[in-house]
Amino acid sequence: MKVTVKQWHAVAQWRWDTGHSEQDDDGEGDVCGICRVPYEGCCPSCKMPGDDCPLIWGECTHVFHMHCLLKWIGTAASKQQCPMDRKPWLTAERKVGSAPVS
Amino acid sequence: MATDALRSQVAAKWQESFHRLNSDAPGISGLMNFSEAWAISTQYLYPWDINNASLDGGGKPFGKDLNVARPAFSLVNHSRRLPALLENFLDDMRQNFYLIENEINQFMERYEADEDTAEIDPLITKLMEWYKSWAPPQELGSTFFSSYTLNFQTRLFSALPPSFAHGFKKLCARLLSPPDDDHAQWDPNIHAEVWKNFEILGLIDRYESIIASVGYEFIENHVLSKCTGEWGKPMLEELRVWMSEKVVPWMLHVYARGASNAEEARSMLQGVGSRFDFHINKTLCDLRTREIFDIIIDFPDSMGALQDLKDCLQRVDQRANLVRSLRKSNQKRLLHPGADTKLILQQYVATIKCLRIVDPPGVLLFKVADPIRRYLRERPDTIRSIVANLVGDDDGGDSLVDENEPIQPLQQPEFEDYTDPQWEPEPIDAGPEFRTNKPGDILSTLVSIYDSKDLFVKELQVLLAQRLLMITKDNSDRVERERKNVEILKIRFGEAALQVCEVMLRDMTDSKRIDGHVQSQKESVVHPTIISRHFWPSLESSDMVMPGQFKQLQEDYAHEFNVFKPDKTLKWLPHLGTVQLELELEDRTIEVDVPPLEAAFIELFADQAIWTLDELVKAVGAVDRSAAIKALSTWVDHGVLKEDPENTFRLLERAEEPSEAVVRERDLAALPVVEDTPAISVAQQQQADQMRVYWKFIEGMLTNLEKLPLDRIQSMLKFAPGYDRSIEQLGDFMEAARREGLVVVRDGIWKLNK
Repeated sequence: MKVTVKQWHAVAQWRWDTGHSEQDDDGEGDVCGICRVPYEGCCPSCKMPGDDCPLIWGECTHVFHMHCLLKWIGTAASKQQCPMDRKPWLTAERKVGSAPVS
Repeated sequence: MATDALRSQVAAKWQESFHRLNSDAPGISGLMNFSEAWAISTQYLYPWDINNASLDGGGKPFGKDLNVARPAFSLVNHSRRLPALLENFLDDMRQNFYLIENEINQFMERYEADEDTAEIDPLITKLMEWYKSWAPPQELGSTFFSSYTLNFQTRLFSALPPSFAHGFKKLCARLLSPPDDDHAQWDPNIHAEVWKNFEILGLIDRYESIIASVGYEFIENHVLSKCTGEWGKPMLEELRVWMSEKVVPWMLHVYARGASNAEEARSMLQGVGSRFDFHINKTLCDLRTREIFDIIIDFPDSMGALQDLKDCLQRVDQRANLVRSLRKSNQKRLLHPGADTKLILQQYVATIKCLRIVDPPGVLLFKVADPIRRYLRERPDTIRSIVANLVGDDDGGDSLVDENEPIQPLQQPEFEDYTDPQWEPEPIDAGPEFRTNKPGDILSTLVSIYDSKDLFVKELQVLLAQRLLMITKDNSDRVERERKNVEILKIRFGEAALQVCEVMLRDMTDSKRIDGHVQSQKESVVHPTIISRHFWPSLESSDMVMPGQFKQLQEDYAHEFNVFKPDKTLKWLPHLGTVQLELELEDRTIEVDVPPLEAAFIELFADQAIWTLDELVKAVGAVDRSAAIKALSTWVDHGVLKEDPENTFRLLERAEEPSEAVVRERDLAALPVVEDTPAISVAQQQQADQMRVYWKFIEGMLTNLEKLPLDRIQSMLKFAPGYDRSIEQLGDFMEAARREGLVVVRDGIWKLNK
C-alpha cells in the first residue's frame, strides 16, 4: 500500500527561540523578568503577541519583552543596567537557531 | 257599668256613622242604598275562577258589569268605606288564590317532567290573564290598584316552586339568544310583549340576578366560542360591536324599560352596560390567561391576543392570576429535563417579548422570568447555547436575538437616575427585588442570567477556537465571517473582553501569510494553523508522535518556518487538524479526510501489514487506548483494515467481500470523516485540571494529619491561592480520587490509601 498525503491541515504553536530551548512543554515557559508575562504573551502595553511585541536578548543571556526593557532603560533608576543582574545592558546579536548553552 | 258620658259618646259615634252611610237620605233608605252598593262592589271585585266562570245574560262573567258597578263604587267611596272594601277584597283574594296555585302547579309539574321552556311561556300568559281578570278597575284609585299588585305579586312569588327560577332562566336565555341558523332575521323586539308581562308580574325585579346571569353566560359562551385559539387579531373591539348588536337590544327590555327616548335609555343602561363590558373583559382575560403559554409559543403570530390581554388587564385586575398561570405552565411544560436548552431559551425570549407588550414596565416579566432564569442557571449548556446562537452556530434554529434589533453594548444593571425628569416610580405591584430592565435588548437580559459576562466571553473563545481550527486551506474565507462575528460581539461585550479573539483571528491570517511564504520557498502539502498559545483556550495536550513521512513533513515545514522567522520555532500539536489521504491498494484507491491519529496508523500499515493494538499505540507515542480503537475502527469501516483476531489488525490489500465493502465505502466516502469532537477541553475538564493542582495540597494535608473530614480539607484549602471551589465540588473531586484508589473514606473521614 502506498499512502500519499494530499493535504494536511495541521496545527502548531509558535515559540520564541530564547536559547533555553529545552524548556518544558507543559511548564508555563519562561516569563519576562519585568512584566512576568510569558514571552509568547505580550507586554502590558501591547495587544498583539509575536512580531508586534518582540523580545530582546542581552549579552547577559537575559531575555525580556523589548518594550518592557526599553521602558526600564528609559527610567533614570535603571542606570542602563540589566534588571536581573545589574550588569550594564548590552543588546546581544540575534541568535539564529543555535543558542549558546549556558 | 255604662255611665252617661259613655252612653252619649257611643250615641254620637253611632249618629255619625249612620249619617255617613245613610247620607242625608230619609229614613234608612240611604243605608239600604249603601248596602246594595257594597254588595255590587264586592261582587264585582270578587276574585273569580277564570277557567270556570258563571256567566250572566250578556255572556259576561256574572256581576262583572262595570257600568253597574261604577255608581256603587262611587257610593262606597263617598261613604268613605273604600279601605274596608280593599280589606275585604284582599281577604277574598287570599281565599281564592288557591285557584292560581293549582294552575301554577299543573304547569310546573309538566315542566319538571320534560324541562321544556314551552311550558313556562303559557304559564306566564296564563298568570297575566289571572292578573288582569282580578285587577280592580281604575275608578277605585291608584292606591287600591297598587295594593292589589303588591298583594298579587307577593302571593305569586310564594306560590312559585323553586324549579320556576330554573325554568325562567332558560326562558330568558331563549329570549336572548337568537336561533343559531338565522341570525339575520332575528329581531329582539318580537319578545317585547313577553318582557312587558314579566315586568307587570314583577318577575324582572325579583329575578334580576338570574336575568343578569343569563346575560353573563351568554357573553361567556360567545367569547369562548369566538376567541378560543384565535390569536391573530385583537378580538376585543369585535366583541364590543357584537355586544352592541346582540346584547344591548335585549338589555333595553330588561334594564331600560320605560325609557321614553334613546337618551334616557342610554343613561339607564350605563351602569349595567359597564358591568357587562367588564364581564367581556374578564372572560377574555381568563381565557387568554389559560392560553398564555401557547400564545407565547405562537409569538409573533399571536400579537392580537397579547394586545387584547393588555387592554383587558387594564380593566380587570388579573395580573397576579396571569403570573400564577404562566409560572405553572412553565413549570409543567418547559422547565423539565426533557426540554432542550435551546428551546427553553427560545421560549424565554418569546416570553420576554410577549410580556413586554402586555406590561411594558416589566413587572409581570420579572415575576415570570425568575424561575426560568434560575432553572437556566443550573443547566450546564445554557451558556454554550446562548453563545452558539450568538455566533450563528445554530443548525437551523431561530436566532434568539432579533436581527433587526440594533446591536448595542450590554447593559449593566444601573442605579436609578432620580434627576431624570422622565423618571417614574416602580409600579405598585413590583416586588422588593424588582429591577427594571430597559426594554429592547434581549441579549443583555440573557447574559444577566449569570452574574458576570466573563463566562460568556470564555465560552465564546472556546467556540471560536473550535470553529477556527476547523477551517482548512480550502475554506479560509470563513475566517472573514468569524471576523465579522467578532466585530459584532465586540460592540456587545466590549473591546477588551474580546481582545483574545482578536489575537486568534490574527493568528489565522498570519498563518495564511506564513504558509504562503513557506510554500513559495518549498512546496509542501502541510498547511498549518499557527497559534499563539497563551491566547487560545487550553488545548488538550497529547504525546502523540507522527510516524514516517508525517514526521518528515513536519520537520521540513518547521525548518522552512525557522528560516522565515529565525527567532521562532514551531511546536506541533499533532493530534489536531485533518489529513487528506490517498491510499493506493492493489485493487483500489481510496481518498479520505481523516484526523491525524487515523493517518498515523495507516502510515504504519504502509510498512508492515499486521500490527497488534499495543504495538500501534506504542508506535505513535502515548495515545488513549479507546481513541486508538476508534481510529482503527474508522479504517475497518473503510474496508482497509480487518481486526482478526481481536486486537490484531491486518491490512487488506485486496478488498474482502467486495460487494459489501464497496457499498460501505461509497457510503462513507460521501460523508467526510472529520473528527468533530471538540479539540478544546471543555470547561469541566479544565476544572478538573485545575483541581489536580490542589491535589498536592490535599495529599500533603492527609500525609501530615493522617485523616481529615471534608470540611476541614475545604477550610484548609481556602488558604491556597486562587482556590474558589465549593465544598460540593471538593466532595466530587474527592469521590473521583477515591475511585482512582488514591484515598479511602470512612464515616466522612478521608485518609490516604496506602
